[in-house]
Amino acid sequence: MAKRLAFLVDAKRCLGCFTCAMACKNQYATEPGVNWREVYPLQADIYPHHERAFYSLACNHCEKPACLEVCPVQAYSKREKDGIVVHHQEKCIGCGNCIRSCPYGAPRYNPVEKRAEKCSLCHERIDAGLQPACVQSCPVAALTLIDLAAGEPDNSVQFPPGYPKMPALNPATRFRQAELPIIHRREDI
Amino acid sequence: MKPSMELPLVLFTILSQTAVGIVLLSGLRRWSLAGGAGQADRREWTAAAALLALGLVFSLFHLGHPLDAVTALKHLSTSWLSREALVFALLAGLMLLAGVQGLPRGIVRLTVAGGLLGLLIQGMTYAPPSFPAINNVLPFVFFLVSAVTLGAGAASLLAPEEARPALVRVLIAGLWAGLGVHLAAPCVWLSGGTVMRLTGQAYLASPLYWAHIVIGLALPLWVVLKSRSIPRWLPFVLLAGALCGRIVFYLETMHTAANMGALY
Repeated sequence: MAKRLAFLVDAKRCLGCFTCAMACKNQYATEPGVNWREVYPLQADIYPHHERAFYSLACNHCEKPACLEVCPVQAYSKREKDGIVVHHQEKCIGCGNCIRSCPYGAPRYNPVEKRAEKCSLCHERIDAGLQPACVQSCPVAALTLIDLAAGEPDNSVQFPPGYPKMPALNPATRFRQAELPIIHRREDI
Repeated sequence: MKPSMELPLVLFTILSQTAVGIVLLSGLRRWSLAGGAGQADRREWTAAAALLALGLVFSLFHLGHPLDAVTALKHLSTSWLSREALVFALLAGLMLLAGVQGLPRGIVRLTVAGGLLGLLIQGMTYAPPSFPAINNVLPFVFFLVSAVTLGAGAASLLAPEEARPALVRVLIAGLWAGLGVHLAAPCVWLSGGTVMRLTGQAYLASPLYWAHIVIGLALPLWVVLKSRSIPRWLPFVLLAGALCGRIVFYLETMHTAANMGALY
């Protein structure tokens, strides 16, 4: 059975330190302002605590990727062996259709190259037996690489609050949700 | 995703819809009439071809690499953008051919059917899941309204004298429909999910949205109802209003990624 590689985002562990985003930027030397990975703080409606919680997100390597479907020049492909959605930038004509169509905002516009680009799950590193740069850099192991073909990770969800629910695309990213800390008050003791 | 005015696409969609509107109305008129095409009829079709060709040229300015634009035809199996590029390029050729050859019935019918198909495809291109407010039939309805109103307006400058009363009736119907659709859509979005509601609020707070309603729809409707004719300056007012409306469409429709980390 072919693999289906995915990111597991553990919001319970994530500190919001942006190391993953910076590791990605260092790995690919993306242009200033162009970030393939973003760290989104959860709003108080979802996580009502001053310590805050975060989702570190890049491409979700969907089963039915909108970017691949809408691209007029076939600049996207999905690897059969592990489900990674790869963008072939040399084919891109910079129409921006993938950027508009991805509900997760994963493809970004490179204003220097005048083409789109996105996270390709460090497929070259994976082929060399390495971890993706973001996963390797995370100081608290809040970002891990999982294989969905081997089963769903424990206590994980696909569509947590604060993340668009798009079942038709079936994004591969899984989440462990942040938990509010237990607050011990004087009167409770 | 940062919203952008997308001026080349604003011009492409408006010009292509005007061209389709001209040939739709002329084609339907030819359907109901016997006899050959006059000079004015042929002029309408060649003008429509020129408008569409100009729109296609504008659309190139939206690309990062316009010289590779022809490769956009590679993914016809699933990409609505590939289909849009193909259909509108073919339509420009058909419009020119029909105009040059004196509107042969077969080509006229093919172009009218192709024009409607083109509007549908263009609507689907702008209805991805990332924009919940327009991930439905609305872009097609907006574009159809633009085609009818702008087409009737432009045709009033070109069509033979005997066609003008029918154009007035079509324009009145199109403007009423446009007012209904464009006023109702943001109000309906207000009762939708978060991104849809934000879209509705952004539209209603936008001066350009109200400029479209007033300049592009209400004022022309009042003028046409009052005078029962289409003054020669009115198509340009219609065009200005439609441009405002299309800028709002690109600038204010909210993307799902804009709300990441908040409740949907």
